[in-house]
Amino acid sequence: MEAANKGKAPLQNRLGIKGWAWAGRYKIERYLYTLHRLTGLGLAAYITIHMIANGFRLGGQGSWEDIMSIFGTSGFKVGEYLVMAAFIIHALNGGRLMLQHLGITLGKPKPPVYPYVDSLRRKRSLIWVMLALMAALAIYTLVAFVIGE
Amino acid sequence: MREVHWKLLQYIAGIGIFFLVGYHLIFSHFQSDEITEWSSVSDRAANAGWLTFYVLILIFGIYHVLHGIRGIILEFSLPPSAVKVLDWSIVLIGVAVFGYAVYIPINGFIG
Amino acid sequence: MEKITFKVQRYNPDKDKKPYTQVFTIPFKHGMTVLDGLIYIKENVDNTLSFRSSCRMGICGSCGMLINNLPMLACHTPIEELKKDTITVKSLPNFPIVRDLVADLSSLFAKHKSIKPYMMPHDMAEAEKPTAEFLQEQLQLEEFVQFAYCVKCGLCMAACPTVATDKHFLGPQPLAQAYRYSADRRDCGAKERFHETDTPHGIWLCHLAGACSEACPKGVDPALALQLLKRAMISDSLRLRKKPAPPSVAQPQAEKKPKVAVPEFTIKRPGAKS
Repeated sequence: MEAANKGKAPLQNRLGIKGWAWAGRYKIERYLYTLHRLTGLGLAAYITIHMIANGFRLGGQGSWEDIMSIFGTSGFKVGEYLVMAAFIIHALNGGRLMLQHLGITLGKPKPPVYPYVDSLRRKRSLIWVMLALMAALAIYTLVAFVIGE
Repeated sequence: MREVHWKLLQYIAGIGIFFLVGYHLIFSHFQSDEITEWSSVSDRAANAGWLTFYVLILIFGIYHVLHGIRGIILEFSLPPSAVKVLDWSIVLIGVAVFGYAVYIPINGFIG
Repeated sequence: MEKITFKVQRYNPDKDKKPYTQVFTIPFKHGMTVLDGLIYIKENVDNTLSFRSSCRMGICGSCGMLINNLPMLACHTPIEELKKDTITVKSLPNFPIVRDLVADLSSLFAKHKSIKPYMMPHDMAEAEKPTAEFLQEQLQLEEFVQFAYCVKCGLCMAACPTVATDKHFLGPQPLAQAYRYSADRRDCGAKERFHETDTPHGIWLCHLAGACSEACPKGVDPALALQLLKRAMISDSLRLRKKPAPPSVAQPQAEKKPKVAVPEFTIKRPGAKS
């Protein structure tokens, strides 16, 4: 029988980009990583648009007011709120990551005793506080920035 | 500079963005009706304090974004030989974007 | 339940273009592990099924597989704990597939070797011709001993999202071992290892997803090791890192205990002199 893969490189089994998004039955910290990446890319795209929009200032009052009239529509208001929410998520999660990257709030290593609980799960309360703060700020900004307008 | 130094600058930029952009968002909300009016824009453009504020946001923001994007590109199995090309491309893009973006408030300040 | 269904990934590089799933239904016994199920399939149903196993007690790390979408050791996973009637078993992700459930772990071992996973003692003369043990306090041991429990099973590498896309990334296992040796006070090779880990595909591509620690079957917590390594590297780059004093060698006892004489036999042996 002809060998289908004879002489070929071994079959790669990398998950690829979908390994960022969903890779198995992991806990919330794994998906906070995905959320941090998505919000970061979203904010990067927004900052690009924001800089281009600000560039219309160079064209004088008329050109500035033209671009502002486009951004005043309700679709852009929703977009602005999403940018706010993305900033809140990225900033708070980034602050948590910075503390944990420096080993702060992770505790000390200790000899493992079954059932094993790793440092991220031992210090879960920090994650819950951060998520509660994210939710509170997201709701507050929704009311203050969008509904209240 | 080593990778650890770039990462430290990333943390510093992140802290800077947290405070500066946080203030920028809060300020934008409380002045939401007037902030985009041409008169308000012109007033801020002529203010040295606001100019400094915008320049700092641009420095921290552009560095943080480009360093983050560099990390994501590296994660696509970029071979070690291409890393230098990536680094220089990021630097050139960063300088170009910063040059364009900082010209706007400087133009408003001078003009 | 009396029967259990196994959906097993099959792949023969000589015959198949891509992996496919084969379904087996086998009798279930209380206390059965996933490895027991695979061995039953191999012995009674399909002897072409290929997988690695050795100690069957969670110490060798050979039987790492993706079981119901989580990397686990097959010998260490009781079927009842999965609480499912169907067990899906695949080869470890992020490693090439040799055949069926056998993954090619050579990249893991090469990366592990690159971080110099051996002691580089301060006193080479003592290390090569030891006269006594190096002294180490309990607290000093606890700074790194958790990370010494690693069995090199590769489950953390299978779980890591960065390893999923970046084949050059060192990965949680080598980086955790880099910290294990660098934190050991008997070792003075930290700076050499920092040189290996402070690269574009080194420690800084870790974004603390934490999946590695979730997957680890030995409680090693590689995520903690990586963050502590980052802290050590940052403090070293800012010249804040205090070099710990090298450990001393245990001194010979000043007073030797007196030799205890062997007591006389209470039962006379035939032919023994009295």
